[in-house]
Amino acid sequence: MAILDVEHICKSFGRTEVLKDISFSLEESQVLSIIGSSGSGKTTLLRCLNFLETPDKGTMKIRDKVIFDADAKTNLSEAQIRENRLHFGLVFQSFNLFPQYTALGNVMLARELEAKGRPDYKAKKKEILAEIEAQAKELLTQIGLAERMNNYPHQLSGGQCQRVAIARALAMRPDILCFDEPTSALDPELTGEVLKVIRELAEQKTTMIIVTHEMAFARDVADTAIFMDDGYILEQGNAKELFENPTQERTKQFLRNYQS
Amino acid sequence: MKKKIMAIALIGAMIFGLAACGSSGDQGAAAGSAGAENAESAASDMAAIQEKGVLVVGVTDFEPMDYKDADGNWIGFDADLAKAFADSLGVDVEFQEIDWDNKILELDGGSVDCIWNGMTLTEEVTSSMSCTNPYLNNQQIVVVKADVADQYQDEASLADLSFAVESGSAGAAVAAEKGLNYTEVSNQANALMEIAAGSADAAIIDSLMAAAMVGEGTSYEDLTTTVGLTDEEYGVGFRQGSDLTDAANQFFADAYADGTIPALAETYKVQGALVAQ
Amino acid sequence: MDTFFQQLPIVLHALNVGFLQTLKLFGVTLAGALPLGLAISFGTRSNIKIIKSIFKVIVWIFRGTPLMIQLLIIYYFPGLVMHNAIWGGGEKGRFIAACVAFILNYACYFSEIYRGGIQSIPIGQEEAGLVLGMTKRQIFARVKLLQMIKRIVPPMSNEILTLVKDTSLARIIALQEIIWAGQAFMKGSQGISGAIWPLFFTGIYYLICNGVLTVVLGKIEKKLEFFR
Repeated sequence: MAILDVEHICKSFGRTEVLKDISFSLEESQVLSIIGSSGSGKTTLLRCLNFLETPDKGTMKIRDKVIFDADAKTNLSEAQIRENRLHFGLVFQSFNLFPQYTALGNVMLARELEAKGRPDYKAKKKEILAEIEAQAKELLTQIGLAERMNNYPHQLSGGQCQRVAIARALAMRPDILCFDEPTSALDPELTGEVLKVIRELAEQKTTMIIVTHEMAFARDVADTAIFMDDGYILEQGNAKELFENPTQERTKQFLRNYQS
Repeated sequence: MKKKIMAIALIGAMIFGLAACGSSGDQGAAAGSAGAENAESAASDMAAIQEKGVLVVGVTDFEPMDYKDADGNWIGFDADLAKAFADSLGVDVEFQEIDWDNKILELDGGSVDCIWNGMTLTEEVTSSMSCTNPYLNNQQIVVVKADVADQYQDEASLADLSFAVESGSAGAAVAAEKGLNYTEVSNQANALMEIAAGSADAAIIDSLMAAAMVGEGTSYEDLTTTVGLTDEEYGVGFRQGSDLTDAANQFFADAYADGTIPALAETYKVQGALVAQ
Repeated sequence: MDTFFQQLPIVLHALNVGFLQTLKLFGVTLAGALPLGLAISFGTRSNIKIIKSIFKVIVWIFRGTPLMIQLLIIYYFPGLVMHNAIWGGGEKGRFIAACVAFILNYACYFSEIYRGGIQSIPIGQEEAGLVLGMTKRQIFARVKLLQMIKRIVPPMSNEILTLVKDTSLARIIALQEIIWAGQAFMKGSQGISGAIWPLFFTGIYYLICNGVLTVVLGKIEKKLEFFR
């Protein structure tokens, strides 16, 4: 059973159609990479999955449960949207860390706030917070930032910031972790440390969707791949197949540009 | 003053969508008499004061008429007289310091019940308040530096001086009437300061005030008074149409006759200016 | 010189009383205008068009007219036009009316500073909060508020120092603050008349007050330097 089914998603901004009939599915513990030139709709697709944009048409299902249906008459409440979007995590191109919190604070904040809504929060406050902190420290250790967890974002390098952002997203235990060009804002020598973390996550069988311009990385780490062009999915399938033997002329042309 | 009221009324009307305040009809009522057509407001004025049990007197700090003693209590010729008047009505007296520029606003707005503060009965005052009979004489008098005073002992010599006068005061009216070269400042004390600071050669202020503030033993020892320009009278102002005016006139007559007023005048050294009631 | 030393305690006492009034007006205005300004800034950013327009008009009126006129209207208008002097004639009523005028006026200025502060926070901060499942309220309170405060401290400091000096405008409705107290000795009060120096002396009070505020506000600014 697929963990994610996206069916016939369309999205327009005014008169510009950005997503045109997007359908794909993703299996549990697999990595999907989405490639395509700038403006092809990759980022908008990720934003739709995370409920930052509302698609005009189509449905989204997690393990066969509908979490979004554009035709459904009833508007989802803010609380329901929050619950649905927590199936996904999102790592932004520009990190978007909260500057007034330390690395540890960034990873813990959302879980602390979530915990406050729990009925047993008052009674077991100490244990709950201790558990959240332990989890956050473990995540920061996992990404190799145990030493820097009390540093503020402005005291960290771009690569370190992005790793904290990954830990922050993982703290919410999403079913699917999405990356929106995670290395595009980094100096070339800093991309390696971020890609390494993502690679390790893939080895631990984390389900991920990665929008990236790092073609070699996308080919190596992904199980399946999607090539998008002008709002359409032009080609999708096995990652190795797509990168080595693309069927569409447009895909070949795109990949050629990256090789040269 | 009228301009200020107009401006406020205008903005008020703009904001609240009301027509200009309807009180302009009252302006025609003769000053000093509670007209029969205003019987309603007159009745309510006296009744209102007796109901709240206090007469709120609008004053400024102005020796020797209304000023504070070392303990901060209001004393002075006017202050003591107002206390006696309130006693005669069987109510307490409360002194409220006001901005002199806003005296008509304060009165019409109801935040004070009368203006009792050495107020010169000018056309502006009598047309916008209901005023009592005069109780003190006053003079608009020229103040200059003592060392040049002998050059300015007659009206003709004043033409080449630059004057400072209180905006809206009787002194300002005289300066305008005589075609003098003058600047308006916010109060009479400021007018004296202008001379001391050298930004004006002379000032025109109330003679009663000059007696207290200018010359030997005061802070303006190097200033002196010279020419008296006009004679005028002090009165007390109530709201237009108020029946308190008649009550105050009656009080003046009684208090003059029984020697209260002359005694007070002795205390504050204004006996020479007293008007017989 | 002798008279100066005789006058000094009397004058200082009067100036202290006046300055207390100045400080009270300053404190109440700040305590009222800081939260009200935030509420108004939400109003001017409302998604509901009519609410947004109403708040924009209010801000326009209070920022577009002199504070002195607002004081005159708020204090005198009820008695003059509606024949109901709601504030009364005494000290207390004048003080309350002055507080109302100052709070409304300064809240409108503050609201624009808040608005600028909120709008200057990158949209990514809100989006990061949303994808982590935070509510809009939580995002404002826990993510944006402190960043906004950091951004508005310098312009707010300016307004606060101006407010200290603007309190002297309340003289127009005969609120007896420190300048009024100083000026009284020019006209004659408590046996001292024609004394000019007390008025200029009030400047020292303002200077000391603003000096203390500058240090405090500088400390706050410094405290917020732990993040960028």
